[in-house]
This record gives sequence, structure tokens and C-alpha cells, in this order.
Amino acid sequence: MTTQATSINLTSHDDVVRVEDLKVNFYTQLGVVNALNGVSFNIPRGRVLGIVGESGCGKSITGLSIMQLVVAAGRTEAGRIMFREFAGQEPPINILEYGKNSPEMRKIRGNNISMIFQEPMSSLNPCYTVGNQIEEAILLHQTDDKSEASKRAVEVLTKVGMPNPDRIAASFPHELSGGMRQRAMIAMALSCNPTLLIADEPTTALDVTTEAQILDLMRGLQSEIGTSIMFITHNMGVVAQMCDEVAVMYMGRVVERATVDDIFYEPRHPYTISLLQSIPRLGRSKGRLSSIEGSVPDPYSTTPGCSFHPRCPVAIKGLCDTIVPEETIVDAAKGHTVRCHLNS
Amino acid sequence: MTTDDMLLEVRGLKKHFPIRTGLMRRVTGMVKAVDGINFHIRKGETLGLVGESGCGKSTAGRAILRLHEPTAGEVIFNDPVLGKIDVTQADRETMMKLRPNMQIIFQDPFTSLNPRLTVGQIVGEPLEIQHRARGTELSDRVAELLKEVGIRPENMTRYPHAFSGGQRQRIGIARALALNPSLIICDEPVSALDVSIQAQVLNLLDELQAKYGMAYLFIGHDLSVIEHISDRVAVMYVGYIVEMAKTDKLYFSPKHPYTEALLNAIPKADPRLRTRPVRLQGDVPSPANPPSGCYFHPRCRYAKDICSVERPPLTDIGDEHFVACHFARELSLTGVQALSDITLEMPKPRSL
Repeated sequence: MTTQATSINLTSHDDVVRVEDLKVNFYTQLGVVNALNGVSFNIPRGRVLGIVGESGCGKSITGLSIMQLVVAAGRTEAGRIMFREFAGQEPPINILEYGKNSPEMRKIRGNNISMIFQEPMSSLNPCYTVGNQIEEAILLHQTDDKSEASKRAVEVLTKVGMPNPDRIAASFPHELSGGMRQRAMIAMALSCNPTLLIADEPTTALDVTTEAQILDLMRGLQSEIGTSIMFITHNMGVVAQMCDEVAVMYMGRVVERATVDDIFYEPRHPYTISLLQSIPRLGRSKGRLSSIEGSVPDPYSTTPGCSFHPRCPVAIKGLCDTIVPEETIVDAAKGHTVRCHLNS
Repeated sequence: MTTDDMLLEVRGLKKHFPIRTGLMRRVTGMVKAVDGINFHIRKGETLGLVGESGCGKSTAGRAILRLHEPTAGEVIFNDPVLGKIDVTQADRETMMKLRPNMQIIFQDPFTSLNPRLTVGQIVGEPLEIQHRARGTELSDRVAELLKEVGIRPENMTRYPHAFSGGQRQRIGIARALALNPSLIICDEPVSALDVSIQAQVLNLLDELQAKYGMAYLFIGHDLSVIEHISDRVAVMYVGYIVEMAKTDKLYFSPKHPYTEALLNAIPKADPRLRTRPVRLQGDVPSPANPPSGCYFHPRCRYAKDICSVERPPLTDIGDEHFVACHFARELSLTGVQALSDITLEMPKPRSL
């Protein structure tokens, strides 16, 4: 597995997905919510990109946008999502040019890009067996032969470490435990050998021992198959263990983007630093935790300037509260960028 | 061990829920959610109760307060006025007198506050029920309590929906604090909160304890949070306490294989520490149909023949370190390795 931070060129042509200035608004009865205010990042091929942030920062919406699964109230106002199925593909496909229900999008969704959700119980259909649900994706994208599909379904269940894949394939979701269901979800997502796997908080609903099993499984499969993974989470421990690179999000913007080592050892954005300081660290966690003052602002309001300035301990009056900081390069070789006036 | 500073002693506490099936709703089995647990809490200390979902930790907390009627066992509470009383045997009138001293904070700040009451009414309700204050005295006291937990008293007339998750949890804390209890059961009070808010609430709980000296029974599943807040920690597995010790002891030199597995499963917040220790296989057994002998033996890599036959009792192996394992004295297990201390500094503010 590529855990060592190798140098990444900022203008790499081998990004699986490059999200450029994505803006998504939600039009609700209470007003407009600016869910994404210009999100840009890239997912290098064969690597694991972690998207971290607190609830409401837009990390799930970013994942759903790539899949074009954002609910009707959400409208993409601007931006591009460039997807390269294989290395060096020119020109890349702009996913957003396809309609949500277009045949092209249906061909990509679940086949080239697939997704795992947080709550395995509500994302599996209770009326079909696990095997049926995996076969559905295979029949849709890969083969028309039903017996071949069911054979492959059992194969992929074996791959995700199910103890008795034939029996599991014939089981309904309610017959499985939480960890087993999440394994079934992963099996389903991997059934068509996707180029990109979007994992939206896949272990949040699980207990630590089960979480550890699932993370081990995902790491193992990633190094075996080489799928690129976009790993959405709020748990810094999971980020440290799973990801090669990290994008930290706050209020619908990527505020810092760096290798996982830099995020933990040389963070630049005050939000990243505060976030790391506020987690109780195992083995040395006595005394007062440093916390971030206040809470995430109301989504219906808009904050002028840097969206973190009301909570930032080092905000500059007259600058941070008026001008939105641009993305600046901290270390081009490692692809470390930050959106903060203090670093520009 | 002196018993004077003992606040709560739980002995053999059990809570079984019947499983009813069929047309006649006959009892066909028992979910042994809490199956004979023993522990004590001293005045002013924090005992962390940790375990995976379904291990019975919340049920234990509720059974102590008789929010679930216990099936068996004793809960001896040392009331400042009434002295030592078995809560499980107390009649209605005695319970009324005991309740002010034992309060609870719930996990979900969205469902534990009545949406039809204002914040002032929510926090003032315990004071009214116990006839502690009324009129302006009541509203003064409520304002004071809200200030204590970091909510502006002007917000007293607002309803819970107007507050964020962290603020609601503060309101829940103010309500628990209203009657000056000597014990607060904190049932996963920070699990539903974001990390930055979680730190605020943990700090608040620490400060309040330092100021008022109440004891906490802190129920949780996040081992780093439990380590941070607790003086001693008890680990539960399928309705049974498998290990209980002072926090540092339990984390750095665990004696039960389950504690070891649990500690090793935590994803460490340091990318330079990527180890893949031996993982626990399989799932937590159902408390309705637990395995024979030691409940942990099917998943335990140290299990021997005796483990599937005989259930080990919780025994003191010295210095208040209690372990329920046949081989507690023989096994050498690995605990937590302290993470390297990464000191992060904020960028220096500069002037324009």
C-alpha cells in the first residue's frame, strides 16, 4: 500500500477525480443554504483521500455530488467534476454535464464510481437478500448471465471476509449484524471493480472492535485492488490510520489540503490545529482539553470573509472578517495548500 | 477500605428483560442485559463505564436510578440526609427524597428536552417538584444555573429547538445540576456531539465537578473520552463487568483479554503509528443467548478448556484492580502505548 507520502505534483494528470470550484445551494422554505461554497480538490489515482470536518460542513454533499445523488432541493450552481476512468484519459469527463438520470450517468454510478453509506441498515433493501442486491449491480453493469452474476456475488462476499458467503448471500439484511451489513455494503460497492469508491462515514455506526475489522478490510482491499477511495469521516483517528491525503472542510470550503503526515504534524490552518487539539488523545489525556469557542454557524446565515473567523483565536480584524482567503500553496512538492490569511 | 467516603455501592445488580412471543405473549426467554454487576463509587470521583453497544452499560445506569426496575441486587446509596439506603427497596416517598441527590444526563440532547417547555421551565422543573424555590427566587436560581453551564440567562424564555446540540446538552446538565446532586449518571453525554463541542462539554463537566464535588458515573463507548474524564474505569461485556481498575492501570496494563482487544482496536490519531495488531474476530454475542462459561471465550485468543465451562468471578488482584478472568495473573497483555506528544502551535496573529 502507498502509505508513504510520495511527492504529488499539483498539476498531476493522473487524478481520478478533480473537483473544481463546486458550488451547491439548497433552496428550502426557510431560505437558501450555501452547502458548498467553491470546493476544489483532487483524488490521485490509487490513493485514499480523507475528507474531514464537523457535521454540516458539506463533506457528505461533496460525495453525493460526485455520484449526482444530491436531492432535488440542492442545485449545483457552478463548478466541474472531472473524472478519468483510466490513467491519462484525455479529455476527462465532466460528470456534471450528464443529467442525473442520463444513461451515461447510470453507467458510471455503481460501476466506475460507487459509494458506501454510514447506516448499513437503512441503505440495504430489507425485501431482498444480500445476494440479490449484489447481483443487481453486476447484472446492470457487467454481465447478463444470472448464474454468472450470483457466482460473482458469492466471490465478492468471500473477498470481504464473510465467514460463510453462500449462506450470507441467501440472508436478508435483518439477519446480519451491523459489521456484517457493512461488509455486505462494501461487497456491493466493490462488485463492479470501481475506479473510485466513496465511503461516507462507513464505520461511524459501528463499535470500535467492529470498526477496526472494517478499516483493516478496507485497507487490505485497497492495496489489493488499487481502488482510489474518498473517505469521508469526522474521526481524526480513522483519518490517521486510513488516509494518504486529507482535505479538511469547514462551512462548505476546503480549508486545508495536505498529506496525512503534514495534517497531523504540520497543520497550518487554525481550524485544523484546533480540531487536533480538541480530541482527547489516548495515553496522555489529562487536564483541560483545548476546545473551539462557539459552534458551527447557522447554515442559513452567511459569514463574510473567512468562514472560520468568528471562532478563530488568531483572526485578524479588518482582514479575516471581510476578505475570503484564497487557496495558497504551502509546499508545492507535497501538495500542501491552505486557505488562511496568516499563511498567504 | 473505609466505607465513609463511599457514595454508591452496587452489589449483584441484575436487569433481565423478558422476551415474549406468540399470540399469548408467553415469556420464552430472557435478555440478560445486566447480569450481576458489582462496583462502588466514592464521593466526588468519576467512574467510567465502558463497553460496546448492547453490553448493558446504559441499562445498568438506569437500573441504579430505578428508571428500569432492577431484577435483583442491591444499590446502596449514601444519602447526605438519610444515610445508607438500598435504592431498590425504597418506597415512593423515600425515592422522592433520594432523587434530588441522584440525577442523570442523557445521550441525545434532541429527545431529552421537552420541546413544549421553555428552557427556564425545563431547568426550573426539578426545583418546583422538590419545592426548593418559587417565583423570582426560582427564576434567579435558573438564571444562575444557566450561567453556570455557559448559556446566557436571557435565553430562558426560548424553546429547545432554538439551540444547537452542544447548547442543549448544556441545558440538560443545568437541569441535572439544579438540585445539587451528589451523583450524576452521565449516559453518553458527548456521543452525539461534534469533536470541538465534545471538548467544551467535557471541560464543563470537569469544572463543575471541581466546584461542586459531585461524583459521576460516566457511561460511554469512546475509550479516549472515558480515559480523559475518569478516575477509575469499569469495562462491561455482555452484561458483566470484566475488568475495573484505576484509569492508568487499566489503560497501560490491562489484565483482561477483552480490555486489551478493545484498547488495541482504537484508531490512533497519529499517522506515524500505523500498526495492525491482532484483531478481535466475530461479533458480540446476544445477551439473550450468551455462550457458556466466560462470555468472552469464543473470541478470546488465550482461552483454555476451563473458560468454556466456568464463569470467572470478578476478583481483586491487588490495588483495587478487579478482573474477571481465569488467567488474570498469568497473562501479560499489551495496553495503550502513549502517543507521541505532538505540540501544535497556532500561527502568530499579525497586524495589518
